[in-house]
Amino acid sequence: MNDILITLLIIIIKLGLIFAVVLTMAAYLVLAERKILARMQLRYGPNRVGPFGMFQPVADLIKMLTKEDVCPAGADKYLFLFAPGLAAVTALMSLAVVPFGPTIEIFGQQVPQVVCDLNIGVLYFLGLSSLAVYGIALGGWASNSKYALLASIRGLAQLISYELSMGLAVVPIIMAARSFSLTDIVMAQESLPFVLIYPETFLIFFVSVAAESKRIPFDLPEAENELVAGFHTEYSGMRFGLFFVGEYINMIILGSMTTIFFLGGWHGPLLPPIFWFLFKVLGVAFVFIWMRGTMPRFRYDQLMHFGWKVLMPIALLDVVVRGGFMVWSLGG
Amino acid sequence: MATVLFYILSAIALTATLLCVTRRNPVHAIIYLVHAFFALALLFYVLGAPLVAAWEVIIYAGAIMVLFMFIIMMLELAPSQELQGLVWSRLLPVVLLSLTVLGATFAIIAFDPGGVDGIPVYFATPRDFGYTLFKEYALAVEVVSFQLLFAAVGGYYVGRTDKKKGGRK
Amino acid sequence: MLDNYLPILVLVAIAFAFAAGSVVFSRLVGQKKPSVVKLAPYECGMPLFGTARDRFSIKFYIIAMLFIVFDIEVVFLYPWSVMFKRLGMFGFAEMGVFIVILFVGYVYVWKKGALEWE
Repeated sequence: MNDILITLLIIIIKLGLIFAVVLTMAAYLVLAERKILARMQLRYGPNRVGPFGMFQPVADLIKMLTKEDVCPAGADKYLFLFAPGLAAVTALMSLAVVPFGPTIEIFGQQVPQVVCDLNIGVLYFLGLSSLAVYGIALGGWASNSKYALLASIRGLAQLISYELSMGLAVVPIIMAARSFSLTDIVMAQESLPFVLIYPETFLIFFVSVAAESKRIPFDLPEAENELVAGFHTEYSGMRFGLFFVGEYINMIILGSMTTIFFLGGWHGPLLPPIFWFLFKVLGVAFVFIWMRGTMPRFRYDQLMHFGWKVLMPIALLDVVVRGGFMVWSLGG
Repeated sequence: MATVLFYILSAIALTATLLCVTRRNPVHAIIYLVHAFFALALLFYVLGAPLVAAWEVIIYAGAIMVLFMFIIMMLELAPSQELQGLVWSRLLPVVLLSLTVLGATFAIIAFDPGGVDGIPVYFATPRDFGYTLFKEYALAVEVVSFQLLFAAVGGYYVGRTDKKKGGRK
Repeated sequence: MLDNYLPILVLVAIAFAFAAGSVVFSRLVGQKKPSVVKLAPYECGMPLFGTARDRFSIKFYIIAMLFIVFDIEVVFLYPWSVMFKRLGMFGFAEMGVFIVILFVGYVYVWKKGALEWE
C-alpha cells in the first residue's frame, strides 16, 4: 500500500512539474515569437506590460478568461464546446512519452525523467498526432461558418498528407535504434546524434513536422488574408485560448520529437541533461519562428503537390535505400 | 487489476458503440465511434497486444474516421439538421444485432464458464509480433499489399471526375 | 502493472480537467451580452448569404482514401523496421515486394491525375 502511495505521489509531482513547465513555456513561446518576429521586422514587439513586456502572457490570459464566450447561431453547441478541448488534450497527452533526461535517483528511488516509457512510444505519438486532426475538423464544422469549414477541410487534407512522410521518416530511426521506445532512441544517440547519420531523413521529418504544426509556410488552415482566421474564426475567449495554447504545446511536442529522433535528446557535454533537452527544443522552436519571419505561404495546389509528389516518394525511397544499406551492412 | 480494467474498457466500448448507432447527427455518431475505437485500442493494450492497439488508433481512428468526416461534410448537413426516418425502421436492426451478440455471449459464458475468468497473460511485444508476421505470414503480407493496390485504384475510380462533362469544382 | 497505466490515466485526467476547467472558469468570469448580430457567423460585415454547408471538391475525398491506403503501408513498415535485423535479407525482400506493389498503385493514381490540383 505504501509503495502504491509513493508511486502515485511521484507520478503526481512529476506531472504537476511537467504541466507547469510546459504551460509556462507555451505562454512564453507566444511572447518570444512576437518579440522575435518584431525584431525581424524592425519593430519592438510587446513592451508595455512589465519590463520588456514580460507579463504580456499573464495579461493575455486574463483577457481571454474575461472575454465573452460567443457561440454563433446555428452552431453545433456540444461540438463547438468540445473541439478546442480536444485540440489541447491531444497535444497534452503526447507529453506522456517525452523523455526529458536519463533515470535519476531521488531519496533512494529510481525516478525516470519521463511520465511513462511506453514500449510503443513512437506509435503512441504518431497515433495522437493522427487524432489531432479532429480538433480542427470538428471546430471548423461545428462553427457554421463558411471560412471555418473551408479551413478545416483544407487543414484535414494537409495534415493527413504530411502525416505520411512524417511516419515514413521515422522508420530509419526505428531501424537504427531497434526500438519503439523513445528513451531507447535517445540512448542509441549517445555518441552521435542521428541528424549527422541521416541528414536527408532529418530534412524530410523536419519539413513534415513544420507542415503538421500548421505554421507558415504551411499555415493554409488559418491563412488570414483568405479565410479570416481559419478554423477558429468563430471562437472567442478561452475556447480560442485553448486552440491557441494547444497549437503552441503542439509546437513544443513536435520540437521535442525532432530533438528525440534526430538531435540526440538530452545528450550533450558539461551541462545537466535536462538543460540540453530544453535548449534543443527551444532551438527547434526558434527555427519555426524564424521560418515564419522569413517565408511566404504556399499556394494550396503547391502544398498538396509538394506533399504527395515530392516528399512522399523521397521518404519512401529513403526508407528503401537506408533499409537496404542497413540489412546489407549487417551481412544479410 | 487487468480484469477490472478489461471490464471498464469493454463497458466504455459498448456504450460508445450503442450511442454511435443511436445518434441522429452523423458527426456526433463519428465522435462516439472514435471513442469506441479508442477504448478498443486500450483493450488490445491491456490484452497484451500493444502494436495492434497502436494500429487501431492510427488506422481506424486516425485515417478511416477522417474519410468518414469528409463524407459527412459532403452531405451538406447543417449542424441542427438531422436525418429523418421512422424510429422503428432504424432501431430494429440495432436491436436484432444486439440481441444476437448478447445471446452469443451468454451461450459462450454458459458453456465455457472458465474462459471468462482470467485474461491470458501472453504479451506480444512489437518485436515478436513483427517477427511472426513477416516470417510465418509473408504471403499474407504480400496479399495485403495487393489489396491495398486494388483499394488505391478503386478509390480513384469511385472519386474520379468525368472530364467531358466538366465536374463541379 | 500499476506503473504502466496509471501515469497516462492521471495525465489524461489532468489534461481534461485543464481544458474543461479553463472553459468553465471563463464562462463564469466572462460577461454575457448576446445579440442577434453578435451571434451571426462572421462574414466580413456583409449580410449572410447561402449556407455554410456548401459542397466541396471530390479531390479531398480521393486524398483521404489514398491516405488510408498508404497509411496502412507505413504502419506495416513499423514492425518490420524494429525486427529487420533478425528478418535479414528475407524480410527486406518481402518488404521490397510490398513497397514495389504499392508503388505501382502510387504511379497509377499519379498518371491518372488523382494527385493534380488546379
